[in-house]
Amino acid sequence: MNNKIISPSDALDIVKKSIVKRRSRDNRLKLFGRIAIGLAVCFLLTLFYSIFTKGYPGFFQYYVTLDIKFDRERIDPKGDLSDNSLFDGEASKIVNESLYSIIQPKGRKERKIAKKIVSSGKDVRIAKMVKNNPSLFGTTAIVKFALDDDVDSFLRGYIKRETPENERRISDKAIQFIDKLNEEGRISYEFSDYILSGSASGNPEMAGIKGAFIGSMLTLSVCLLIAFPLGVATAVYLEEIAKKNRITEFIEVNINNLAAVPSVVFGIMGLAIFISIFGMPRSIPLVGGMVLALMTLPTIIISSRAAIRAVPPSVRDAAYGIGASKIQVIFHHVIPLAMPGMLTGTIIGMAQALGETAPLLMIGMVAFIVDVPNSVLDPGTVLPVQIFMWADFAERMFIQKTSAAIIVLLGFLISMNALAVYLRKKLERRW
Amino acid sequence: MLINNDLKTLDLTVGDVFSQNPRLKARNVSVFYGDNKAIDNVTIDIGNKEVISFIGPSGCGKSTFLRCFNRMNDTIDSCAVKGEITIDDENIYDKKIDVVPLRARIGMVFQKPNPFPKSIYDNVAYGPRIHGLSENKEHLDGIVEESLKRAGLWEEVIDRLDSPGTGLSGGQQQRLCIARAIAVSPEVILMDEPCSALDPIATAKIEELIHELGNDYSIVIVTHSMQQAARVSKKTAYFHLGKLIEVGRTKDIFTRPQHHQTEAYISGKIG
Repeated sequence: MNNKIISPSDALDIVKKSIVKRRSRDNRLKLFGRIAIGLAVCFLLTLFYSIFTKGYPGFFQYYVTLDIKFDRERIDPKGDLSDNSLFDGEASKIVNESLYSIIQPKGRKERKIAKKIVSSGKDVRIAKMVKNNPSLFGTTAIVKFALDDDVDSFLRGYIKRETPENERRISDKAIQFIDKLNEEGRISYEFSDYILSGSASGNPEMAGIKGAFIGSMLTLSVCLLIAFPLGVATAVYLEEIAKKNRITEFIEVNINNLAAVPSVVFGIMGLAIFISIFGMPRSIPLVGGMVLALMTLPTIIISSRAAIRAVPPSVRDAAYGIGASKIQVIFHHVIPLAMPGMLTGTIIGMAQALGETAPLLMIGMVAFIVDVPNSVLDPGTVLPVQIFMWADFAERMFIQKTSAAIIVLLGFLISMNALAVYLRKKLERRW
Repeated sequence: MLINNDLKTLDLTVGDVFSQNPRLKARNVSVFYGDNKAIDNVTIDIGNKEVISFIGPSGCGKSTFLRCFNRMNDTIDSCAVKGEITIDDENIYDKKIDVVPLRARIGMVFQKPNPFPKSIYDNVAYGPRIHGLSENKEHLDGIVEESLKRAGLWEEVIDRLDSPGTGLSGGQQQRLCIARAIAVSPEVILMDEPCSALDPIATAKIEELIHELGNDYSIVIVTHSMQQAARVSKKTAYFHLGKLIEVGRTKDIFTRPQHHQTEAYISGKIG
């Protein structure tokens, strides 16, 4: 009798005994998985909760309602609505006078305090209004002006009335004036018209993300236009055309290594090559997009190659079998079938690029730029850099603005990912 | 037995490898995968408008040899072909020869039905389109209709030409692939185990089709099924370990094989 092979009944006993152990091992694995997912969800919810509760107020700010007499001679002394003429006008004075008529400051010192309650952007606002609508001249209209950031912080309760006067950024007299305005029902809390349509500003109440948002769009467009065709072409060449030899292997290894290079290194490279050697201007979205394209290229190449490799060889055989040339096989069959995967990789790469700060700091996109960039050659900044800069500022109001900008950035990211899912679903052939 | 053993050592093929009216001629063809010799010195003619079966045990190289005729082995980097295959006295492995027109002349049907993930119409129209065979839309429609008719699929798909080719049943897909091959007007059709993924009813239909197509095209069919070879082909070639052992009329191969290895395979002793 050969006793190396166990009899069936013995084997059954052994299997039965081991089954309990195996089951509990299965269950343990399941439990660990659930704990991991639960933790991830908790972190995510905490993150979203803190960002949204902090950032939501950033979209709102306090305004004061004033009656403004649109006196053409005072606002537009030359009468031609030119920037020069409006600059020479006395718009600020008119706003201040309207304010004084409500809170009645006595003497120069009090007037100085009163003046500061309203944001310094008041003359710009009036200039904009008359430019858009010159028929306002000669009428008296109700206009809302943003309050100064310290006043805003006070109204939000960040600056406490109980704090001794010399320890807070707002004087007792100013508080008195604010109370007066409040009594008159002149102060309102409204959706901010600066956060989405304003640009970088030293006055937090006037700061907005428009410039950074447009900058991000321009930078990403450049990045996409460079990285997508280059990445797809590289992937197609390496997978379909190049012979497998030492050189292609070497290129492959280096592409994979490139994907792991810290992004700041790409920034230094951009600074050294694009700006120093080629003499391109700094701070422009074109250079930013080029640097980000270098950074996203490996991601796009790797995912595109995976997508190409997943195209069934039978389709290639079929096309070659009826005499399609290599290029026809690639363009008629391989690329269309690999497109969903390529797009997914590209959008993941773009999402990375959208959130990138470090390489853009290197090429000077961190500059304080008030104008909204009109083209890829205008200096600009991008959302994450704007967030980084605002997070660095001392004024209390920038904290809310920072969170608000983060919400916008996240919204941008989520819509990009949604687009990726949509495109993949649409292009994926289910047949 | 003595004679057979002699033949084996001499590497000669038993039977008549030559054809009176050859379409394709293979002379001393050897195929290597790297250092591994997959086909060893094979000489054979493929007759005009003749159906010939390649049979043999798995791994004997019959599919590899089949793929030499339209240079599908080119797509495998490590594969090298030695010897000569000629069509109209032109060596298809000549450097001057472009594989694109060659593959239009020598069509292929694969083991697994592999329609493109496109509509039935586009599947058939793809070949004529890339080769510029049609003058206009009506002409192309005509080519598609005729090809589908010859492949015996027209009646079944007439009202759903726009639906995906991959939505058809396995047998229909394979006939669609045959229609696709026919659409570029080839002279030779290579079939690599065209029925191995199909059920018996679909297989019967394809076999019938091959039989009919044999009147218009030279067909080379690789098959595992000896019954299939017996049913569809006039000639049969038996391969063993990369060597062409015996060629002859199908009738003769199955009833009076001359080589002992052929006999062993036919009678089920090997393979």
